[in-house]
Amino acid sequence: MASVQPRTEVHDVVVIGSGAGGATVAHVLTGLGIRVTLLEAGPMLDPLAEFKEHHWPYDYDHRGAEEGGRRYFGGGKPFGFFTTTSGGWELDGEPYTVADDTGDFWWFRSRIVGGRTNHYGRISLRFSDYDFNPRDRDGLGWNWPIDYADLAPYYDKAETFIGVVGSPEGIRSAPDGMFHEPPPPKAHELLIQRASRRMGIPCIPNRRAVITHSINGRPACHYCGQCGRGCVTGSNYSASQTQIFPALETGRLEVVDLAMARAITTDESGRVDGVVYIDKRSGQERQLRCRVLVLAASACESARLLLNSKTAEHPDGVANSSGVVGRYLMDTVGFDIGGTVPALEGLPRYNSDGAGGAHLYMPWWGWERQEALGFPRGYHIEIGGGYGMPGIGSFAGSARRAGYGTAIKEQARRDYGTRVSFAGRGEMIPNERSFCEIDPEVVDRFGIPVLRFHFHWSDHERRQALHMRETFHELIALMGGEPQAPGRRDASGISIGGSIIHEVGTVRMGGDPRTSALNGFCQAHDARNLFVCDAASFVGNPDKNPTLTINALAWRASEYLAEAMRSGEV
Amino acid sequence: MTTTGDSDIPRREVLRRLALALTAAGAGAFNVEAARVVHTLAGEARAQPGGYAPAALDDHQFRTVTRLAELIMPADEGGGSAVDAGAPEFIDLLCSRNPDLLRIYADGLAWLDAATRSAHDRTFVDASEPQQREMLDGLVAAERGEPASPDAGAGVGFFNWIRMMTVDAYYTSPIGIADVGFRGNRVLAGYATPREAIEFVARKADELGL
Repeated sequence: MASVQPRTEVHDVVVIGSGAGGATVAHVLTGLGIRVTLLEAGPMLDPLAEFKEHHWPYDYDHRGAEEGGRRYFGGGKPFGFFTTTSGGWELDGEPYTVADDTGDFWWFRSRIVGGRTNHYGRISLRFSDYDFNPRDRDGLGWNWPIDYADLAPYYDKAETFIGVVGSPEGIRSAPDGMFHEPPPPKAHELLIQRASRRMGIPCIPNRRAVITHSINGRPACHYCGQCGRGCVTGSNYSASQTQIFPALETGRLEVVDLAMARAITTDESGRVDGVVYIDKRSGQERQLRCRVLVLAASACESARLLLNSKTAEHPDGVANSSGVVGRYLMDTVGFDIGGTVPALEGLPRYNSDGAGGAHLYMPWWGWERQEALGFPRGYHIEIGGGYGMPGIGSFAGSARRAGYGTAIKEQARRDYGTRVSFAGRGEMIPNERSFCEIDPEVVDRFGIPVLRFHFHWSDHERRQALHMRETFHELIALMGGEPQAPGRRDASGISIGGSIIHEVGTVRMGGDPRTSALNGFCQAHDARNLFVCDAASFVGNPDKNPTLTINALAWRASEYLAEAMRSGEV
Repeated sequence: MTTTGDSDIPRREVLRRLALALTAAGAGAFNVEAARVVHTLAGEARAQPGGYAPAALDDHQFRTVTRLAELIMPADEGGGSAVDAGAPEFIDLLCSRNPDLLRIYADGLAWLDAATRSAHDRTFVDASEPQQREMLDGLVAAERGEPASPDAGAGVGFFNWIRMMTVDAYYTSPIGIADVGFRGNRVLAGYATPREAIEFVARKADELGL
């Protein structure tokens, strides 16, 4: 070589995205002595400034109705003023489009270090053994190139590190893990449990990424029930506090925030050699060169980046010789219903905040009789209720029933704590009509072409949602309650695609490079130094919330990558 | 517990320092007592009574909103009124930052005065309490679609707005939160459901045959 001076620095590993996948990669690789540069499209997180944990509504002159009472006009932050969402269903200057064939699709994006893990529900469920080979079971969907035994050690590692409450139950649909002591059931949950047992549905301690004893310098949960607001003590899992901040302390992680990736670059041989991004502070385009590139920008953003990276060697986008990038987009089937249970009137008041979210849940119970049920795949049930912190809208129904005067107060005292809710979260089977692609006509404020979504539930999912409805109505009826109308959903009663925020599957893994983009280690078939470590790699979307499996897959990929770097393979 | 006296500035400083101490706490050093102090002081720091100068509503409108809030959620043995909970100030403040909301209130209050004038020959706030109640009873009857309810027109929509915001102001205040008996937003060393709550539910489940 004539010149020994490199044009620019070549980073060892560049990771795009700092959510569950990217942060796990950063944590594991820096722990193995490898230097990581992480790009995040949003700003660095400052928990002290950002989190509203322990705040009261009256700490704000708008009480949570937000500036000028935006909530009253259908606006305001998604999931309420106090959550730490840092993003939303719509981002200024960053549109997406929905194809004409699709009724609706919602896409929630966070732009912050830690991504959606700062506010997510933290439900942490392992896939079952049967979830990895669904096609063998019923001929639908596709099998994964890995099985439960491949991933189990990484579920162990992920759970041990992030901390998950739960209990060993020996239920096949809900494999046991490395659990912290779960908090005991809340009072209304005990009533729900009695009803569910009557129906033969197991109702067991919930599995959530919260710690009940101190680990890795993180204090145990203090039971304020406000996980969604962000936890200043880091007693629940967030990618930012649990992984990014400690990884920064190793000195081997550099975070480049406000960096919006535009395209992947390749050298003359077609090998990935870097990424071009927009520095949002200056508006300038910059390039990072790297030895290894890891995408973890969220399933749809990672697919978008690959599809927007067309080169001579990769005419359909990097890692897309199979044409599957963007295909097989899945969300979780959602059906939510609430009910008022008069039997809970008069329950002694107590502090039911607990460890955030429910203390019990119902894993899927019908995996052995799917054929008789008339739909092929299962769901689990998340439950709600208790004496929540009053907020904007909490007693609107009581007020309407009472009219005006002291009757409103009397009604509210009777109603408080009598509402329970059930949320079914079910498996969607991948289909050919649900995918994202580059919209040929629309770009975002950075000039980057945006995604256009196609999304369709099939009758498998619709029948499953109907079963959820029947089940919840029966549970509420057994408790002597009255069901109320469910929330956001389409005309047939099922949730709007994307609205459960479990979008997965757009850069799927598989054994055959003709029908998949990644191998079982999340490594691109077409580019050995490219990995995709978010939920894009999912081959299916079982009724298990995706984050824990993102953690486990990213952990496994990181160890594989570290070894490949050591051996010189990449 | 000692506080920092009447001056607001040292109090704020205490709050700030405690908040910093809380969030900086690593390695299991989370200070439960410090967290409790923050919560207590945050509550005290806010309760600053005194004259309020409306920012959006004029004096007559503000007096009318105040009277409506008093009627919609009066004091009883369980707690003070929505006025005590700051409902008029809450409504005025949001109106001052939202022209659409201000229009809803300006139009609604004008409707209410006109309707009260035509029935009782005076504005709502100057009407007698029975007359005011008659007006509200009519709105509730119209809302419920009861037969023989008066033609309340735009009044029902406005009544919904002010009732909703009055109720929200009440239940997002310390008074309303204490009224319904919310016991949470605390820092606890452990979680337990009280035995009397467990027994209550078990009894109910038995009664339901579960």
